Amino acid sequence: MALMTCRAFLNDLRLRMEGTPSLDAEAHIRNCPSCRHITEDLNAIHSAARSWRAEEIEPPAHLWASLRLQLEREGLIRDDRGSQLELSNSGWFSRWFAGLPRPALAGGYLVLLIAVAFGFSRPANRQANEARWLEGTQVSTSPLSAQLTAEQVSFASFNDSNPAVTASLNKNLAIVDNYIALCEKSVQEEPQNEVARDYLYEAYQQKADLLAQMTERGENNR
Amino acid sequence: MSASYFVRQQLVCNRTWKAASLLVPGLLICSFASAAPQPRRQEQHFKVQAHPVITLHNPNGTITVKAWTKAEVMVISNRASDDVEVDAEQMGNRVDVSTHAASDNVAPEDLRADYQINVPEDAELQIHNDSGEVNVANVLGDMNVETVAAAVDLEDSAGYVTIKTVGGSFQCTRCAGKLEISSISGNLRLTDIHSFHVHAQTSTGNILFSGEFLPNGLYRLKNYSGIIEVRFSPADSFDLSATSLKGKVINEASLTPKAHQQHFYSRFGNSLFGTFNAGRAKVELTSFDGTINILKRD
Repeated sequence: MALMTCRAFLNDLRLRMEGTPSLDAEAHIRNCPSCRHITEDLNAIHSAARSWRAEEIEPPAHLWASLRLQLEREGLIRDDRGSQLELSNSGWFSRWFAGLPRPALAGGYLVLLIAVAFGFSRPANRQANEARWLEGTQVSTSPLSAQLTAEQVSFASFNDSNPAVTASLNKNLAIVDNYIALCEKSVQEEPQNEVARDYLYEAYQQKADLLAQMTERGENNR
Repeated sequence: MSASYFVRQQLVCNRTWKAASLLVPGLLICSFASAAPQPRRQEQHFKVQAHPVITLHNPNGTITVKAWTKAEVMVISNRASDDVEVDAEQMGNRVDVSTHAASDNVAPEDLRADYQINVPEDAELQIHNDSGEVNVANVLGDMNVETVAAAVDLEDSAGYVTIKTVGGSFQCTRCAGKLEISSISGNLRLTDIHSFHVHAQTSTGNILFSGEFLPNGLYRLKNYSGIIEVRFSPADSFDLSATSLKGKVINEASLTPKAHQQHFYSRFGNSLFGTFNAGRAKVELTSFDGTINILKRD
């Protein structure tokens, strides 16, 4: 049997939330931690919403009368006792949407809750992701940087027998050092920027190549 | 003792002196010859078979390699001083040429040799020249050239070419085959190219590409700063992706936007993605803070 993809699972999510999950979807969340977390979050939201409804507090009767009076005064409703706008003291919130079919209301409610949840979580997630990207880059480059710097110290006065070679290697090492500094700054500013990270790794590679050449020449000149 | 005995003895003695008079100067000449330095200009010939390999290791100098129709390799070397030696030897179908110091105390300007080498056109070349120049023309075999500061100039090549320089520039005219070039500060100039694979990378140098974009070809040009310039003709067909993180992308090609989702990189910097004609070749241009120019060829 072909496994369900994450995209298909998400398309199927509404059915699941309405209580008719497919077997494929069940199998998918057993194997996919990401979709399992989404499902768990939605279940938590759904439970919370149900508990809010159960805890709904009835407003006092006189509030409805004064609210109605105010709306009539502002011309927003007419005094039509037979109309559907008749207010009663049972569930004011649900009366506002009384004209809408129940499944559409439930779907809209769910979408709203998800949007709010994503809206609140996004900036926090972004900062956390950026911190993780930066940390990952630093973890991979810091030891390399330290090693190359230590290596470079031993070449403070590199001097090949060929002056053109000495000048070229020293000049290009300075270019690469500057290039590393600028790439590091760019990675700090945009930790998720893959191009900047690629450039930084390449700059380290170039520095390692140059220092290897200098080491080899230093040994040959001895 | 008879008179004839004395005569014979005299003759023997005369012959001995004659022989000695010939032998001693001969030996002296030989001993002088062995002690005399190599002539500074040397010409050596090596018979080779198909696809010979020629390796050359030189610290400094001008190297010129040209293809010819003979099944032999000719090496003409010219040493800058007597403190430098040139070795050229054949091992099977490989000819190894190298320059090295003859003493421990050689002045930098003396550690130099210039070479003119003729090879069969299917020869494979491996050249290392720290500074000076490397010029190669009409060699169709694979080649690998590494330099520090030496410039490399290639004409009419057709093999798998890998060039690596630190600060030396690279120029390639009418090159086909596969090209892989990397440098730190050298400028890369690729003109009249007919290659299906070009990968050129320099950090601070400029890159110019003017040539055909062959169907299914891959053209990847990358630098850190400097200018990347690509010239195309109206008949070319390529899929373009150009990104400069901090610099500009200037485009004269009428590109059709891609229908599918853009490349990940498009979120950062200045990017351009699209298809020119049928999009048969793939062109990837990347710069950190340089300018990318995609211009019409005159």
